[in-house]
Amino acid sequence: MPAPFVRVEGLRKTYLMGERRLEVLRGLDLELEAGELVALTGPSGAGKSTFLHVLGTLDAPSAGRVLIDGEDVFARGEEDLATFRNATVGFVFQSHHLLPEFTALENVMMPALIRRLGRPEARASAEAVLDLVGLSPRLHHRPGELSGGEQQRVALARALALKPRLLLADEPTGNLDPQTAEGIHALLADLNARLGITAVVVTHNEQLARSLPRRLRLAAGRLE
Amino acid sequence: MESDTTTPAGTAAPAPALPAAGREAAGSDHPVAPVFSVPAFLLVLVGVIVAGAGAPLVHAALAGRLALPPSLATGLAALLAGAVGAAFGAAAALVGRRLAFYEVTAAAILWTGTVALRVALLPTLRGSALGAEGLEQQGALVVVLGLLATGALAAMAVFIGATFTYLLAGTGRLDPSLSFELYVARSHLKLTPRTLLGLFLLCVTGVLPGLLFLLVRSLLDDLAERRAERRGLLHARRHVPATMLMTLISIGGVAIGVWALTVVLSVMSGFEADLKKKILGHNAHGMVMKYGQDDFTEWRQARQRVLAIRGVTGATPFLYNEVMVAAGERLTGALLKGIDPSTIGTVTDLPASVKEGKLAWLTDPAHIVAHPVRGEGQPPRGAEGDGVLPGIVIGREMAALLRVGVGDRVSVISPFGDLGPAGPQPKSRHFRVAAVFYSGMYEYDAKFAYLELGEAQRFFGSGDSVTGLELKVRDVDAARGVLARVQSELGGWPYRTKDWGELNRNLFSALQMEKLVMGVILAFIVLVASFIIVATLIMQVLEKTQEIAVLKSMGAGIPSIMKVFVAEGLIIGAVGTFFGLVLGLGTCLLVDQVGIPLDPEVYYIDNLPVLIEPAQFALVALMSVAIAFLATIYPATKAARLRPVDGLRSE
Repeated sequence: MPAPFVRVEGLRKTYLMGERRLEVLRGLDLELEAGELVALTGPSGAGKSTFLHVLGTLDAPSAGRVLIDGEDVFARGEEDLATFRNATVGFVFQSHHLLPEFTALENVMMPALIRRLGRPEARASAEAVLDLVGLSPRLHHRPGELSGGEQQRVALARALALKPRLLLADEPTGNLDPQTAEGIHALLADLNARLGITAVVVTHNEQLARSLPRRLRLAAGRLE
Repeated sequence: MESDTTTPAGTAAPAPALPAAGREAAGSDHPVAPVFSVPAFLLVLVGVIVAGAGAPLVHAALAGRLALPPSLATGLAALLAGAVGAAFGAAAALVGRRLAFYEVTAAAILWTGTVALRVALLPTLRGSALGAEGLEQQGALVVVLGLLATGALAAMAVFIGATFTYLLAGTGRLDPSLSFELYVARSHLKLTPRTLLGLFLLCVTGVLPGLLFLLVRSLLDDLAERRAERRGLLHARRHVPATMLMTLISIGGVAIGVWALTVVLSVMSGFEADLKKKILGHNAHGMVMKYGQDDFTEWRQARQRVLAIRGVTGATPFLYNEVMVAAGERLTGALLKGIDPSTIGTVTDLPASVKEGKLAWLTDPAHIVAHPVRGEGQPPRGAEGDGVLPGIVIGREMAALLRVGVGDRVSVISPFGDLGPAGPQPKSRHFRVAAVFYSGMYEYDAKFAYLELGEAQRFFGSGDSVTGLELKVRDVDAARGVLARVQSELGGWPYRTKDWGELNRNLFSALQMEKLVMGVILAFIVLVASFIIVATLIMQVLEKTQEIAVLKSMGAGIPSIMKVFVAEGLIIGAVGTFFGLVLGLGTCLLVDQVGIPLDPEVYYIDNLPVLIEPAQFALVALMSVAIAFLATIYPATKAARLRPVDGLRSE
């Protein structure tokens, strides 16, 4: 049997706060196949964000392994991890986290520039992705000049700019009204279907969670 | 298992609110990158030692063997040692794949330790090769400071090399690109041509009028705001963001530092050049003498041989003695030189600096006539009855002191006269002032007096012997090398040569020291400005934690994040340096054109001298940009070490 795209083994994340021990993740095991679209739900503070950060290599686990294509990613050095993130992972955060000084186009070009692609190349791919999320007419607007839904679309476009294999979305619609959220959900499902990107979407939105093919629930540091 | 220790379920809840200080529990089985790399440390240590100890040796070799002028030798030695140190630093960064900060610090501490050891052992080392004679003569404090400064500079070179290399190749492959870093840095600084122009004008108009202008504008803005408020209107007032204000202040700080440095160094160079011109105008560039009591009677042949040497443009014999010159009741000590009036002009500016009388009257004393203005048409005082007296040329200050003019009689008294019954008796003889010269150097105008060579030889009873030959060379700065050639051409001992630098060593080394001290003191302005850069960048880092986290989540590595903030600091430093250079150059040109009058009685110069040396400007610019670069490193590492999770959490 070939190795699954993502395999998480005995993942633990513990913080020491003075004398106190805070166990955020208490041994997670998970396998994700390529192209899966997964909803991750759970109460606040259950460790969803932490899990997503570890999965995206932004944070190192205290114990356990994350295997991507069968390879232990945390065995890499810090610089290789950065390269890995650039090539393989796309993040969407609850608040869009766009760079306020740059236009939508420049924001979406950023991952390609980090990869040291040429400016014309970066621009072409960014324009294509922005077209994909339906924002072609607003390329040269800054985040401040865009609506909440548009901002989140730009963030999504930025996450997808380099065609990552793993999309990690942390409550992408948490700050949006239901109608706008609906649009983003539809877009996510559509992109997953069209591009075959494996996506983990953290959400409090039960309706969205139910609409996704696979649902995971994280409670008290464990998957249920 | 350890982690199964009972934790109340409730306390595990507030994970997102974890402060950054929450430490991770151990347990990850992956190796942690070492904090201190021993191979890197060894490389850095070798770099510090080679650069620190090599610089003085290279300097000695360049100045001694190759006979380069001292300032050029110092510059080359520093550059060479700096490059070698930087190369070792680069190697250390490649080996350690980190900033070599701890390693460099450790190496610098080790160097300090050896300095302390050496100072403690100084008494026992005295006289040995390790003693560094030159430094020792100036006392232990100078030795310590010199060694510490060399070590600090060497460590700095190594550190700059290491940091630069880490920025370029820290990802494991060469990555000199700045594509997005510069982009992001510029967005942080928000410098527009308009704000820069405003800042430049603020610097040019002087800080005070500029601040006054800003104050008045702020006052008017306040008024408009009040009025709008009363009418119930919204008055949007333009606010300058705090970080941008900080950026502008740092640029201004660097500019003022560079400005002060360039102007003061140029003025000091001007003084030095002026002094050099006067000293070299009045003195020869070098002289040939003989050791011991040997008579130098073959000077005519020696002169011909010396004149044939490449680089020598003039040579003239001289006889040198110390005497007293008296006129009536007035008396002064003098340095009496017997000269050859026909060839002295090929070596010094004496003929040109004669202001009254004629130099030719030295050989033709019968024609000496009183200066028409001073003598008012009368025959020279005391001319009658004395017959024809041999001529003497004295300086303006001596003439004023003795209250004599051209045509007046003076007597020269030498302590070494004829042998009398009770040993040598002073001998005295009358001379007539043939000319008065004005060199512009008080010392010379008050102390020097000239006789015709033959007359001097007769007076001192030295036969056909002279003290030596004075030489003029084509390139003043290469005088040392030319004189070394002269010495070997003449066959070495018993001949010896001295160049003008040796002859006036005290004066010029004092000037150099003064310049160095002024440079160091003024460099502190730039240093203070660099602290503002540090503060500005730290503010930027704190303001942009979220942005840094997002960039990291997109795959920006540590060197990339560092590059953003290093680029910011370098832009601040470069713009400030540029402003400072322009202002400095402008000020120098202004001072040169308009002139700031000085009291010539005190300085012997009627205008503040300015010498614009491009190399000096370049050195100041290089130093200022290097300091700005160093200032960026702490904030840049602070930014790069931010954990992305902390930045993303701050919602």
